[in-house]
Amino acid sequence: MQHFSISYYDGTVSLSNDATLTLMPDHWLIHYVDESGELQAVKWKLENITTDQNLTTLFIFRYGDFPQQTIECKEEALPRALKEKYPSKIFFERKLTHIFKQNNTILIGLVLFLLALLGAAYLYILPFVAEKIASNIPESVEKRLGDAIYDGMIAGYTVDDSLTRSVNDFAKSINFKTAYPITVTVVKENEVNAFALPGGHVVVFDQILLKMKSKEELAALLGHEVAHVHYQHSLKSMFRGLAGYLFVSLLLNDINGIAAVMADNSNMLVNLTYSRELETEADRKAMKVIQSNGISLKGFVDLFQLLKNSAGNAGQYEILSSHPLTEERITYAKAMSREQTGIRDQSQLQRKWIDIGINSGK
Amino acid sequence: MEQSYNERRQVTFHGEGAKLFGIYIVNILLTFFTLGLYYPWAKAAMLKYLYEETEFEQSRFTFHGTGREMFVGFIKAIGIILAIYCVLFLAILSNKPAVILIGMLIFYGALLLLIPVAIHGSLRYRMSRSSWRGIHFGYRGDLKEFVRVFVIGSLITIFTLGIYSFWLIIEIRKYIFKHLRFGNLTFSYEGDGGTFFVLHLKGYFLLVITLGIYSFWYVRDLFNYYIDNIRMYQDDKKLTFRSNATAGGYFKLIVGNILIILFTLGLGTPWAIVRTLNFVFSNIVIEGALDVNAIRQTEESYKDATGEDLADMIDIGLV
Repeated sequence: MQHFSISYYDGTVSLSNDATLTLMPDHWLIHYVDESGELQAVKWKLENITTDQNLTTLFIFRYGDFPQQTIECKEEALPRALKEKYPSKIFFERKLTHIFKQNNTILIGLVLFLLALLGAAYLYILPFVAEKIASNIPESVEKRLGDAIYDGMIAGYTVDDSLTRSVNDFAKSINFKTAYPITVTVVKENEVNAFALPGGHVVVFDQILLKMKSKEELAALLGHEVAHVHYQHSLKSMFRGLAGYLFVSLLLNDINGIAAVMADNSNMLVNLTYSRELETEADRKAMKVIQSNGISLKGFVDLFQLLKNSAGNAGQYEILSSHPLTEERITYAKAMSREQTGIRDQSQLQRKWIDIGINSGK
Repeated sequence: MEQSYNERRQVTFHGEGAKLFGIYIVNILLTFFTLGLYYPWAKAAMLKYLYEETEFEQSRFTFHGTGREMFVGFIKAIGIILAIYCVLFLAILSNKPAVILIGMLIFYGALLLLIPVAIHGSLRYRMSRSSWRGIHFGYRGDLKEFVRVFVIGSLITIFTLGIYSFWLIIEIRKYIFKHLRFGNLTFSYEGDGGTFFVLHLKGYFLLVITLGIYSFWYVRDLFNYYIDNIRMYQDDKKLTFRSNATAGGYFKLIVGNILIILFTLGLGTPWAIVRTLNFVFSNIVIEGALDVNAIRQTEESYKDATGEDLADMIDIGLV
């Protein structure tokens, strides 16, 4: 008969009793000497014994209802003895979480697997999910969201009413091939920048207008921003950022961080930056649209050149921060414009461009 | 009982980063593949391990909570947080200033209520699920009373532009420790708001003057103030907690942890946790006469703690 030395706690007081455990066919016997020197015997019926999930080399068993009696055993032979003695009762379940007890190769494999998984998820799964969510958001919700952001942020700028009117007029004579109602707002800001909000708002800084030399450049800029609207790029970026944060914070055990990012959302929307793929997508769509309007694609070449020069001057223009490398864009635009056919007369657009010129006081 | 005044005891931590890492990596993968639903089980496994490696007077602590229990709290917590954010989001979408204002009020009001409810729930759950030598811890605070203390204190904090917050924190600690039980042992917290405020004031100014270098002394002071004011009572005997933490120790801990986590892209977190727990426990000394064999069970069965509203709302995310 096997005996194991254990510590026994009766559940009513914190006294630690050195005891012995004897495994009987249908029960356990625990013997210890109490404080008055008398030998005590405790019987544990097999069916009422529970085991703590075993994560260390200490084996813990509990018995009965609250307050439970507890025994702790450090003898490594115990699990095997239990298996032999009671083949039908499983004391220590083999849990998936116990993989770590096996060996280091499995562990290292898991780490590498995890890293690969993280990379794949971040690069492929997240954008996909974000895109799906964004495309499933009703247009009315998207518009209201865009309006709310627009109202919130436009208060921080000075709107140039006459330029806004004439640029909108200009935009109306181009068919952007999108269902979104496009409204342009020109604001006075000493920065070469423009951005699009969900639902159809495009904000253009007057500095970029002043630097433009042709109507084609403005058409190119508007085409690019409208493409962002059309493909829901800001929504997608937003969900991507959110999903990315959720993902990372879940992994790093940080649920509270999710609350923080949600509170931070408004800020994120204003500082939208798009990934390079989204920018490239916007460029392509814009070129297609401008071409089908019969407008020369040279405007893109000039616009990108303008952006490049502006960046060269100050090196801090946000519009460039995540845009594809301007050189590449220029090369691409040049190639596209060389192949372009079907440029039509744009005298109506030209008149409107002159209006803009007058309004901007050039 | 003469020698009792020299009695000193420490809680020791035996956890190893490598072992914790084994649990951690499996947790991450399972959490990932279950889209986060495994999280409560992951957390339970971590807590069980950490408790089991914590020793006092040759006996280990035990965490009795289960993933299933925590899952209920987890789902409730996510539901409630989502609901609150939905209110805010819908209000903002309405684009009417009045509605937005009401939405914001509801949002911040709900958050204000949620924090004490979550602290209460998590304390009650965590304590009821912690034991040593079969004797359970317990938290017997009253939810309504605690919410009242918290909300009134928070409002005063807002009206005093935050100055009252130092008194509020001390008041909350006092309330919590007063209602903490370990079997028949009771606790109290002896700090006071004024001293705590001066401590922060001094810390803040020195932080500015030294361009942040003082931060290690600052956190040490705060830690010491927290620990040094804890008292534990066994019948009529009083025990004092004392901290030995030093600024140098804090420097090593914090800088080391940041480097570990950064250079392993977060995978080294288990080592950081082990280092932190080692630091905390090795710097706390319990002084005074304690009969470690005579702590009596006084807690009721907490089997229905599962139904405790929001039981582990804040518990989530704390290790």
